[in-house]
Amino acid sequence: MLQTFLKTALRNLLKNKKHALLNVLGLSVALAACIIVFLVIRYETSYDKHLKNYKNIYEVVTKDIDESGENYTVGIPFPAIKFLRQDFPQYQFAQIMVNYGGQVTARAEGQPVGKKFYERTGTFYAEPAAAKMFELKFLSGDEKVLDDVNSVALSQSTAEKYFGNWKDAVGKRINTDNAQYDLQVAAIFEDVPENSDFPFKIISSYKGFETHNEAGWPLDDWGANSSNHQIYMVIPPGANTATFEQYLTQFEKKYNKNNIDAKRTHFLQPLSNIHFDDRLSNNGQHITTKRSLYTLAFVGLLVILMACINFINLSTALAVTRSKEVGIRKVMGSSRTQLRVQVFFETALVVGSAACIALIISYIALPYVKNVFAAQGKLNLFTIDSLLFLLVITLVTIFLSGVYPAFIMGKFKPVEAIKNKINTSRVGSISLRRALVVLQFAFSQIFIIATVIAVSQMNFIRNADLGFTKEAILTIQMNADSVTRSRLNAFKDELLKRNDVKQVSFSFDAPSSQNSWASNFAFDKMEDKKFSVNLKMADENYIKTYDLKLAAGRFYNMSDTAREYVVNETLVKKCGFNNPKDALGKMLRLGGRRPMEVVGVVKDFKQQSLREAVLPIAIYPSKRWYQTAGIKLSTNNLVKSNTEIQQLWDKTFPEYVYQSSFLDDNINEYYQQEQRLSLMYKIYAALAIFISCLGLYGLISFMVVQKTKEVGIRKVLGASVQSIMYLFSKEFTVLIAIAFVLAAPAAWYLMHSWLKDFAYRIEIGAGVFAIAIAVSVIIAWITVGYKSLRAALANPVKSLRTE
Amino acid sequence: MIKITDLEKYYRTEEVETIALNKLSIEVKEGEFVAVMGPSGCGKSTLLNILGLLDDPDGGSFVFNGIEVAGFNERKRADLRKKNIGFVFQSFNLIDELTVFENVELPLIYNNVKAADRKKRVEEVLDNLKIMHRRNHYPQQLSGGQQQRVAVARAVVNNPKLILADEPTGNLDSSNGNEVMQLLTELNEKGTTIVMVTHSEHDARYSHRIIRMLDGHSVTENILI
Repeated sequence: MLQTFLKTALRNLLKNKKHALLNVLGLSVALAACIIVFLVIRYETSYDKHLKNYKNIYEVVTKDIDESGENYTVGIPFPAIKFLRQDFPQYQFAQIMVNYGGQVTARAEGQPVGKKFYERTGTFYAEPAAAKMFELKFLSGDEKVLDDVNSVALSQSTAEKYFGNWKDAVGKRINTDNAQYDLQVAAIFEDVPENSDFPFKIISSYKGFETHNEAGWPLDDWGANSSNHQIYMVIPPGANTATFEQYLTQFEKKYNKNNIDAKRTHFLQPLSNIHFDDRLSNNGQHITTKRSLYTLAFVGLLVILMACINFINLSTALAVTRSKEVGIRKVMGSSRTQLRVQVFFETALVVGSAACIALIISYIALPYVKNVFAAQGKLNLFTIDSLLFLLVITLVTIFLSGVYPAFIMGKFKPVEAIKNKINTSRVGSISLRRALVVLQFAFSQIFIIATVIAVSQMNFIRNADLGFTKEAILTIQMNADSVTRSRLNAFKDELLKRNDVKQVSFSFDAPSSQNSWASNFAFDKMEDKKFSVNLKMADENYIKTYDLKLAAGRFYNMSDTAREYVVNETLVKKCGFNNPKDALGKMLRLGGRRPMEVVGVVKDFKQQSLREAVLPIAIYPSKRWYQTAGIKLSTNNLVKSNTEIQQLWDKTFPEYVYQSSFLDDNINEYYQQEQRLSLMYKIYAALAIFISCLGLYGLISFMVVQKTKEVGIRKVLGASVQSIMYLFSKEFTVLIAIAFVLAAPAAWYLMHSWLKDFAYRIEIGAGVFAIAIAVSVIIAWITVGYKSLRAALANPVKSLRTE
Repeated sequence: MIKITDLEKYYRTEEVETIALNKLSIEVKEGEFVAVMGPSGCGKSTLLNILGLLDDPDGGSFVFNGIEVAGFNERKRADLRKKNIGFVFQSFNLIDELTVFENVELPLIYNNVKAADRKKRVEEVLDNLKIMHRRNHYPQQLSGGQQQRVAVARAVVNNPKLILADEPTGNLDSSNGNEVMQLLTELNEKGTTIVMVTHSEHDARYSHRIIRMLDGHSVTENILI
């Protein structure tokens, strides 16, 4: 039985090559899209699941409430851990201090100058408890080395990078923390998996951080709260987290005497949420919100659904031409079930071959996907669960695509079928097929609208006026140490001798950066404001280098320490002054420091991504904190300038590694997730349009066959070519219009909520919707046009003779 | 073998009700060769469809082989049909995607005959009907007469008790037509009951008895033997 099914199925497919091709093409592209979506989602949800204690590890994080709303940070004040351990001795706590980017020098024996490396991520100070909690597997030594302030543990690949062979690394010395900290390699651990938000590479003792504290972190101060300092804990299963959560809300009230109105509270962030919660940062490469994963899954589902719709439409249309075969089979004794099994068998054949092609497509596409999602090793196509997923999705697709055509064909009456009395109107309801086409068009229009909006928002961001210049500014990461400070002026003088350097400014960070340093403050009247101020430490050239604009007063003069302050418009406004001029001459006190005069107000500039609103900012000189050099260039060859400036750097700071980037690149990095999303929209919009075009082409070819007689009669009666073409395009145009009515509000709603994440965003205008409908109509007409023109030009004598 | 009494069949559209069979009563004995004649629209084909268990009557009784089959559901009809009845159509109705061999094999497949037996029986029949050399051809590659031979082969491969032929020579020239009629006669002589609808007086003369129909009932019967 199956053998004949197979034979007929194959021969039928060959006979209707075009339809088979359309089906296989649409389905394979859709299935490939689904597999890739699956791989990405599986990868993103796999973070840190290798930890046995995955479900029991929590991070203690912070929520600050002030007038601007709720602010979240993973940081926790330095004194906190002492009290946590005192109050809950039954739980295991571990604190770590993250070192954001820095130079590491690996010293080979007998050589005065070591090899210089720059580590952007992966350098930590940690207690031994942290190494235990995150289950580091030691190849040599153990976590106890983290009790020794002079020891360091390296990951295997880091040790190999520095010393060639990890076994040779043990006992060697490295300098971390921008070469300030001399350590002996005492332990080696296995590399942390790629899908971990704790990419430990270099771990030295937390005690060592406390004793050295070169940067002068306020270790006894409850007021300072840096996201670098984090506390993790294990709450065993069965223990009540609610009690602890309750305790955390009262924690600072109890121990931090300055936090009188309890504006800062703490809560538990489960490890299982760290990769997905975009209110907080993590130590890995990125955060992926659950919402964007749901969007991705939903999009994958839509695409496969569209391909199924194609299949249903094409096969019910084809069912008509196969009615004779169905009739004969019934006369010969086939039961309905046998016929339906046959249809399912044929569907399985088509979907099965599509699945094989999908595997090939996704194999080819995978490197690009890895690139987009920055997931190198782990996106593996040929694993049991991804193949299992393909099998399941294939079976579901077979069912979805096959069930309706099978139902329809089984229902054919043999007498009518055998006499070719079955026509389109009898094959299911026409309205159902129309509804499916409308659905398809609605999906593609949603994708088109979403793409247009996402792309315009990203363009808006790229071209938005940030309030400062970001083009052609080279930034160099420096050390904030005395050696560097002593050579800053010499370096600057050398730079300014160059023709391509227009300005040089040293500062804590650029106007826009992912660093943030906030402080409590008082303005005018000397009591603390209920909101905090963001601090920017910079020299007097900051305003010229980054083209900040003054709203009132002047910028401060050259100085190594703060004598005067410059603030931004937002601070002035939030303190109740309407005119920037009114703020001049008023006194500003930062934290517990001496109050000083405000001499200037700068116009607002965006200090973070455009998702965030502008915060109150104070700018003042403080040479001790300068760790960024901003160099404004006037050149067409930025690469050449960069190379030459590196030579200058190497001459001035031979012991320090050169770490530069262009400011506009840094700013673009804020929008990685959005850019990924917008790229994804583009790809899936293209897929959706492609698949619906395939479906449309199939339907129109079928319609042309069905209407051959009608076209013939109309032509005999004198119809023009245009009127025949109108006959065919009319219906689809109406369907597109109906689809638009469904798609427009849905797309508006989706994209409106996406845009809400941005403090600065475009308005969704009518233009976007006009583009969407125009694109769909044009594409539909092009698809339909060729076929209908052929039908319209056909000789009526031929088309009527078939009767 | 067949006994129908007061058989009724209507076709309804939204506005019109057409009576196709109007209290028709006919009996066909085992081994008979009966021709049904009459003008277009008299109900011949409707009768044949009901006799072939392809369609269900709206009233009356239809006893097939001693069983009352009027009111049988589709599954039961299909079951009875595939075991007992062979069909020959005016337009041959071969499946274009199957070869001669595969077309003839089809009824055996639906009767769950084992592959080896199928091969034997199909080859036997093709041999008998002298189309063995065409076994791997597709229907489009054959002449009309050859196609109808294949159709006859397909009708008899399962050794049905009854063969229903709907204008079997309608699409053939006279020499091919005569050959097909000769084939049917031979089958009848071997014991198969045949009911044939035809427009041709010439073909009708091959039968034992002619039933003439008009407006849904039988008007006369000519007994030829």
